[in-house]
Amino acid sequence: MTDAALFQSIIASLPEIVVVTGACILLILGQFVRKGQEHFLVSASVAIVLIAALATLLLANEVRPAYSGMFIADRFAVFFKLVFYLATILTFLLSRKYADIEGIGSSSEYYVLLLFALFGMMIMASATDLLSIYVGLELMVLCTYVLTGFMRRERRSNEAALKYVILGAVSTGIFLYGVSLVYGLTGTTQLNAMAQAVTGDPLDPGLLLAVVFIVAGLVFKVGAVPFHMWLPDVYEGAPTTITAFMSVGPKAAGFAVILRVFLNPLVAASDAWIIVAVIAVVTMALGSFVALVQDNFKRLLAYSSIAHAGFAIFGVVAGGQDGIASVMLYMLIYAFMNLGIFGAVIMMRNGDFSGEVINDYAGFARSHPGLALLMLLYLFSLAGIPPTAGFFAKFYVLVALVERGFVLLAVIAVLLSAVAAYFYIRIVMVIYMREPERAFEPALTPMVRATLAFTALGTIGIGLFPAWFLGFAQQSASGG
Amino acid sequence: MGFPLLSLIIFTPAAGAAVLMFLRSDDAARWTALVVTVLDLALSIVLLAGFDTTTHEMQFTERVPWVPALGITYALGVDGISALFVFLTALLGAVSVLASWVAIERKVKAFMASLLAMQALMLGVFLSLDLFLFYVFWEAMLIPMYLIIGVWGGEGRVYAAFKFFLYTLAGSLLFLVGVITLYFHGGETFDILALMALDLPFQVQSWLFFAFLIAFAVKVPMVPVHTWLPDAHVQAPTAGSIILAGVLLKMGAYGFLRFSLPMLPEASVYFSPLMLALSALAIVYGGLLALAQDDLKKLVAYSSISHMGFVTMGIFALNLRGLEGGILQMFNHGVTTGALFLFVGLIYERTHTRSIADYGGLMKVAPVYTVFLALFTLSSMALPGTNSFVGELLVLSGGFAANLAVGAAAVLGATLGAAYLLGMYRRVALGPPSVGARFKVRDVNAREMVAILPLAVFVLWVGLYPKPFLAIIDASVNHLLTEVHGTEGGQ
Repeated sequence: MTDAALFQSIIASLPEIVVVTGACILLILGQFVRKGQEHFLVSASVAIVLIAALATLLLANEVRPAYSGMFIADRFAVFFKLVFYLATILTFLLSRKYADIEGIGSSSEYYVLLLFALFGMMIMASATDLLSIYVGLELMVLCTYVLTGFMRRERRSNEAALKYVILGAVSTGIFLYGVSLVYGLTGTTQLNAMAQAVTGDPLDPGLLLAVVFIVAGLVFKVGAVPFHMWLPDVYEGAPTTITAFMSVGPKAAGFAVILRVFLNPLVAASDAWIIVAVIAVVTMALGSFVALVQDNFKRLLAYSSIAHAGFAIFGVVAGGQDGIASVMLYMLIYAFMNLGIFGAVIMMRNGDFSGEVINDYAGFARSHPGLALLMLLYLFSLAGIPPTAGFFAKFYVLVALVERGFVLLAVIAVLLSAVAAYFYIRIVMVIYMREPERAFEPALTPMVRATLAFTALGTIGIGLFPAWFLGFAQQSASGG
Repeated sequence: MGFPLLSLIIFTPAAGAAVLMFLRSDDAARWTALVVTVLDLALSIVLLAGFDTTTHEMQFTERVPWVPALGITYALGVDGISALFVFLTALLGAVSVLASWVAIERKVKAFMASLLAMQALMLGVFLSLDLFLFYVFWEAMLIPMYLIIGVWGGEGRVYAAFKFFLYTLAGSLLFLVGVITLYFHGGETFDILALMALDLPFQVQSWLFFAFLIAFAVKVPMVPVHTWLPDAHVQAPTAGSIILAGVLLKMGAYGFLRFSLPMLPEASVYFSPLMLALSALAIVYGGLLALAQDDLKKLVAYSSISHMGFVTMGIFALNLRGLEGGILQMFNHGVTTGALFLFVGLIYERTHTRSIADYGGLMKVAPVYTVFLALFTLSSMALPGTNSFVGELLVLSGGFAANLAVGAAAVLGATLGAAYLLGMYRRVALGPPSVGARFKVRDVNAREMVAILPLAVFVLWVGLYPKPFLAIIDASVNHLLTEVHGTEGGQ
């Protein structure tokens, strides 16, 4: 690697470098932060992410391959990185008060680990080699393992972390096994070179197997059936802020990799879409039906997130320009509405009030009409009712499906989303149509307020004026 | 594109709903809602005054690109088919506000805001010229209606609200897939006028016809997907029932007129016997069910099913008299049934019972009330001189021309209508005054009178001089018929 190439590579990966350097500095500075100065941690973390975002946007004007084909900074990556920044910053804002209430507020590790997870996700979005994908993936999940178990004295949190580590390790092993098969059969781990190695020949069944393994490993990260078992327990046990983060950031990162791999002709030629279609249907069905009987809000949102992953996978099945763009737009919109609803759950945690049981929200509209209206907005958006953004996200996936002729899949998708609508409007019912059982005061800080306002703005704004965001997603999809 | 009158009509109530959120007192909310709906009504009268009855072309059109990448436009327009319903929606909007003046005691602000939001969305449905826009309005209506039934409804409101929501959602989601399919067949556009000009293969038409049928049949509602209606009506507050019966049910029929017939003409002709049979079934079955009810609201709800059967029968008779009668009957049903629900609401506010058995001899204690009730009851059973007579006569003559058996069934349904409506009136208004002993019933007051009078005016106006109403729909219906039959060489 020449000096010039190295320089170019450093430029291309500048946002990543900013994040990782910032995280390291914060790790050291964090040791000097005394009680009562935790605001510094939040501001510093947000500042680091904002600088990285600025760097990303400044470098977005051209495609920059880097590190000898391991890494690329293209518009596809930029789009996902912006989603990651959004998720991370909002998580920081939501964390401040919540962390105090849970007694984890003064540890800088919490923020540092989130930054490292962000770094891992950014590598995933930009990786063009199975090994760099692996590095990013592993970095991200290692951080989330620790964050899941961050409430050290809480049994649920520990249990969730342990489950997550064990199952996560298995899935990583499966993924690596697939990578090794690919390397053995094609002699390369680079996505592009891999495709060239097999062009024209009838497909090797060994390669198909390898693809199945890789897909299985990735599907674990987005929580699709049959690798979803960890998800409800982890979502329930983890600190709610981390659950919010995981349901948006790492999930989008998983989809970034899946799309990157699926852009690849090797996979396109392997009829893997049939497997993926089955995964999509089963995932959505399981998520939707099991969520019907949940009483715990976090568990319900876990199954809802499974169902949404299923819907987004339909976009992967559709493939092509619109299919990819539809998944990307879905992830962006999902980030807004899901962080919004999690923001509402997080603010309910106050004093001895957990806010995790759906009945805790009984009569919420009576005591806090404004906040109830926001929750109504997020919930109807998650259910996919216009004019919210959630509707447009689903609509575009359906357009992509029908464009490819998968009308039957589109019908299945809408029927399952009708099932899913039931449990969202059930929460609306509890909020609006029940009498309040006890008085409580949500933990509203200016930061939480800002988060809720911003996510609400995104949820309704993208719904009413989707054109710009759609164009952004379409351009980013073609830049990949 | 001149003055955006249609946008103004849609967004006046929407803006009103937004303003309501910032008001403090309940009275201010009531008056604001009333002013907004009256203003909207005035705008819709301006629309009708400027409406050109000689053309079937869309009028007052507005077009602004919305999502150009997907061929989605913010396109509005009005023609003879939609004009009357814009007016009807605005009229019933004002009536609903008056009807909930004292009936709604809790969360008045939120209720009025929901009503206004509902009105904006319903007007949007009737005015959209873009399928995507139409769908957004169509589906978004679920949110305020769900709240209106679920928050301010009766005892079983939660169940009713869920049932209403899920039925309509499931129906309209299939419609959505149909819409997207149509989009790709029509060269990637959601423009309704462009899609009307398409000549789709019969097979595609048939599939789409059923996808559309499910969505529209649930809304109408046609038997056998009508079961949400009695629950929703009985549990909804009076204003909710007025809107449901007066406007929401019209949307299904409007969907047939706007989409199924012009876009899928061959399938519409092919499946018209099925549709006629379902309509006849609804007429008779709804009538029989109404005959067996003791609950006033349920009786009116089931009579709605029967009356909407007349509407769909007129539409799928696919001839001039049937279609004109069907559309006029949609308007009439909105006025008459809206009024009947208002009357049920008025008496319920006073006595807190809807059971017919509890009533009797109201004539003695509330003469004005009973006189107007008589007018609307007679209108509902289509007595000559009232609005429904004109509509039902046209529908029947169209129905007989299309199919003798179906026409006969409709006559049977009309007879049943006379039976349950007169029976209801006799037991409520006539006979010994059992009510006076148990309840203090006062007669209608000035506010209630203001809500009732315009409806009464339209009952008689359409009944005695229907020409201006038929003139509005005439050109568009003629054009629609040539579109439907044009493909098979005219009829």
